Amino acid sequence: MSHLQYSVKRLLQAIPVLLGITSITFLLINAMPGSPVEVMLGPTATEEMIESARVRYGFDQPLHIRYVKYIIAVLGGDLGRSIHYGVPVTTKILERLPVTLLLLVSSFTFAISVAIPLGIASARRRNQPIDHASRVVSLIGVSTPNFWIGLVLIIVFGYYLQILPSNGLVMPFTPISEVSGADSRLDVLVETLRSLIMPTIALGTLQMAAISRIERSSMLEVLGRDYIKLARAFGVKESVISRKHAFRNAQLPVVTIIGLQLTSALGGAVLTETVFNINGMGRLIIQAIRTQDYALIMGTTLFFGFMFVVGTLLTDLTYAYLDPRVTYDGE
Amino acid sequence: MSTESADTDPESEPEYEARVGGLHALSRLLDDTTAKISLVLIAIISAMALFAFIDAEFLDYQLASTYLYHPLRAEGGAQPLLPPVGLSNEFGTGVWAHPIGTDTRGRDLAVRILYGSRIAIQIALVSTTIGVVVGTIVGAVAGYYGGWVDDVLMRFVEILYSIPFLVLVIAFMAAFGRNLTYAMIGVSIISVPIFGRLIRSEVLSIREETYVEAAQAAGVKDRNILRRHIIPNSFAPVVVQTTLQMGTNILIVAGLSFLGFGAQPPTPSWGQMLSIARNYMLPAPWFSVWPGVAILVTVMAFNILGDGLRDTLDPRLNE
Amino acid sequence: MTTDTPLLRVENLQTQFNTAEGTVRAVDGISFEVHEGETVGLVGESGAGKSVAISSVLRLVESPGEIVGGEVQFRGESLISFEEGPNGEPRPAPEMLSDKEMRERIRGREIATIFQDPMESLNPVFTVGGQLQEFIEINRDLPPKDARDVAIETLREVDIPKPEDRFGDYPHEFSGGMRQRVLIAMAMACQPSLILADEPTTALDVTVEGEILNLVSTLQEEYGTSLVWVTHDLAVVADICDRVNVMYLGQIAEQAEVNELFYNTKHPYTQALLNSVPRPDKTVESLNPIKGVMPEAINPPSGCRFHPRCPDAREICREINPDPRDVSETSVVHNAACVKHDVFDVGYNASTPIQGAEDEFGEDLQVTEETQ
Repeated sequence: MSHLQYSVKRLLQAIPVLLGITSITFLLINAMPGSPVEVMLGPTATEEMIESARVRYGFDQPLHIRYVKYIIAVLGGDLGRSIHYGVPVTTKILERLPVTLLLLVSSFTFAISVAIPLGIASARRRNQPIDHASRVVSLIGVSTPNFWIGLVLIIVFGYYLQILPSNGLVMPFTPISEVSGADSRLDVLVETLRSLIMPTIALGTLQMAAISRIERSSMLEVLGRDYIKLARAFGVKESVISRKHAFRNAQLPVVTIIGLQLTSALGGAVLTETVFNINGMGRLIIQAIRTQDYALIMGTTLFFGFMFVVGTLLTDLTYAYLDPRVTYDGE
Repeated sequence: MSTESADTDPESEPEYEARVGGLHALSRLLDDTTAKISLVLIAIISAMALFAFIDAEFLDYQLASTYLYHPLRAEGGAQPLLPPVGLSNEFGTGVWAHPIGTDTRGRDLAVRILYGSRIAIQIALVSTTIGVVVGTIVGAVAGYYGGWVDDVLMRFVEILYSIPFLVLVIAFMAAFGRNLTYAMIGVSIISVPIFGRLIRSEVLSIREETYVEAAQAAGVKDRNILRRHIIPNSFAPVVVQTTLQMGTNILIVAGLSFLGFGAQPPTPSWGQMLSIARNYMLPAPWFSVWPGVAILVTVMAFNILGDGLRDTLDPRLNE
Repeated sequence: MTTDTPLLRVENLQTQFNTAEGTVRAVDGISFEVHEGETVGLVGESGAGKSVAISSVLRLVESPGEIVGGEVQFRGESLISFEEGPNGEPRPAPEMLSDKEMRERIRGREIATIFQDPMESLNPVFTVGGQLQEFIEINRDLPPKDARDVAIETLREVDIPKPEDRFGDYPHEFSGGMRQRVLIAMAMACQPSLILADEPTTALDVTVEGEILNLVSTLQEEYGTSLVWVTHDLAVVADICDRVNVMYLGQIAEQAEVNELFYNTKHPYTQALLNSVPRPDKTVESLNPIKGVMPEAINPPSGCRFHPRCPDAREICREINPDPRDVSETSVVHNAACVKHDVFDVGYNASTPIQGAEDEFGEDLQVTEETQ
């Protein structure tokens, strides 16, 4: 089976999961207080809107019909209408999505680029000071609530040292005029970086700690394998062994863990965005709950699920790329 | 491991200890210093939580003095937002009666943090237990019977797994209710898939073992096979995961409380205290510190214990 | 056929493992030689220390293991050598090759290895050809293109069909026997003088094993490589070895030329091993396994380590742990570590035989000692 075939296969496997997520949100919508009309359209809907929605969502029809219509609607990108913002839910989500994506990409980049070298160094110098230090740091990292890290960072760097902004995230493509103190695109980018540092650390620490732990244990395990011993017996240098022979094998469980970390990162984004007042999707869901904007709540939840499925898909494809055994039919 | 004399009837085979004898594992665990530390920590935290279960009024009556204010009620003359002993701010100077300061309503922070442990542990305990029990049933059935049962159950688990934990619980609570009970239900729901998957993979590998085949050939009923052979032998990773999951759930609950889902005021919970602290970062920065430290220490204790258990119970595979 | 200086000379090698439960003396003073062109067998049950001995020769013993004594010389150069330190403790001697020299000159280049489990010994994420080529590049100082050609040729030599195509395949795409051939190719391609083979056919089924043994013999004849063949299978020993060392619990029990070992056995352990093998040409009522199990190396029996299981054991055997001495009637050396031979002169004949108490199965068993 080639990589392409495997990718297609995985994509197809994702479809029932997406369907399942949609079903869950459908169930939750129907559990919400108020009539489905209110949930999907809000109390300010006009007669015409209700009428057309009646057809689209099948409000007065039995449950299973409503279910089908809901799925069709979702497929068409229709997630209802936000009462608070007065725009379709999809619009609002797409508006906030880039912010959250930037935050996620940034925190994972931070996490991976710190965790992998740290884990490897820890494995190679087992039971030496750097190993002990990194293990303690990792332990603290997986035990600390990310919103608390954010709070502490804000207090130290935002309030006392006043060197980093603690309110909101500046996106790279924001018009220059909207960014205070900025005269050029470069200034805006600098501001982006500055506003990104603390949220990245807050969100990424848990990821970094978890990944470095698995990196370490995976490297240790791989370094004990027979093929490593064979390479040594044939005179391969130790640095080449860990860099080339061991590394790729060790990454396999790490990739899996990164996939699992996605779910906690997405949840963590909600908390981080709240602490730093960042207008991303995470904050959106909280704001939606405060304003009882049910369509928005459900739409955002659904979207989070979609994001996770996409993320897992990418992780699986990366794993298959690294491990030639995965795409092989016979084994 | 003890064996009793076997009857000829396979159904009444003697009860064997799990492969990891409880006492044996415990004694090996205590050899590990870090595990000892974590056990001590957890004992302390549990004592705190237990202490908090005592009726508040009763406690107040017994300890009423200038030293301990009632944690849930500020009296007249209470001093809000006092800093810890030795520091001073615009609200006053720290006093020994409130060693780490007071909150916005003048309530002693130390005692509030103590009481906050109750929520954390309560929810973590309940939700993890439900997660283990339900997850074990689901995973064992799915793994043992395989086929379409497995497919359906695992598909369901996977779907539940696919919505980020926090978001799912939040959405759940938005639909059903925002109080402590629903928080517990929500966190239980998201704990189930984790254990379901774990047990299933354990069962899958144990199912192939020869002693299971032997029991099947001898005519032992399925549920007894599950109960006596499969589940005890999958004990080790489940224990490890349970411990670690307690820590994870405490973090999730803290996050929920921070966002306002969970225990409602005036019941103290650490996440909620941090949420309030956020509004007073400038005048009272220490307020943000201690509840977070409490969470950190508690979760770390569970993680250390879980790691210690893993090292004790699993290395038998490497030996 | 033998020359003056042996290719490999191992003298009183000692390797131990420091574990939580105590010190495991996995290799406790073994000595043997390998001459040019010969195949030397290293036989013993699991746990006897054979694999540790092999790793020790290449100085690849990892913590918590440690080589603590002995001499190993290869072509006169010192791979392992100890001297007395200031406190009287043994410490590595300066004439030992450095780690770098071991890596660059000895491992793979002069002494190559074949491991037991071909699936585990090949890196699953790299192509077979790529791994082979890398070893050739390192040990024969060839540029990649030349190394690749050599690799393909070597694969052809070990009877892998269509080597140019299979070069780019991954280990999991090969069968067990094929993978073992790849390992042999790796060992041979670097043109070493000595190959240490650690149970290379144990994981294979019998027909494949036969093919591999034939292959190895052919290659050895062609290239004159010396072999140390570790195994627990006496049939393999009989097939390909010139001389044999029998190991028990970290020590050598018997050393002899192969025919001598089989037909003129001098040590009760070897005899027991031979007796326990089922023979297709004889019908017997029951098999003769060796009674008991080999104890763990952390707590060896006192005196002769085999005495608790030995049918010829006497009281004196509890006290004396003999090292192998020449008990041969001819000029060819035949060593055995058993005091019943006169050359030991410790009063074996006068000593009372150890009569066994019955074990829990009601069978005769020699008394096992608990030692400290």
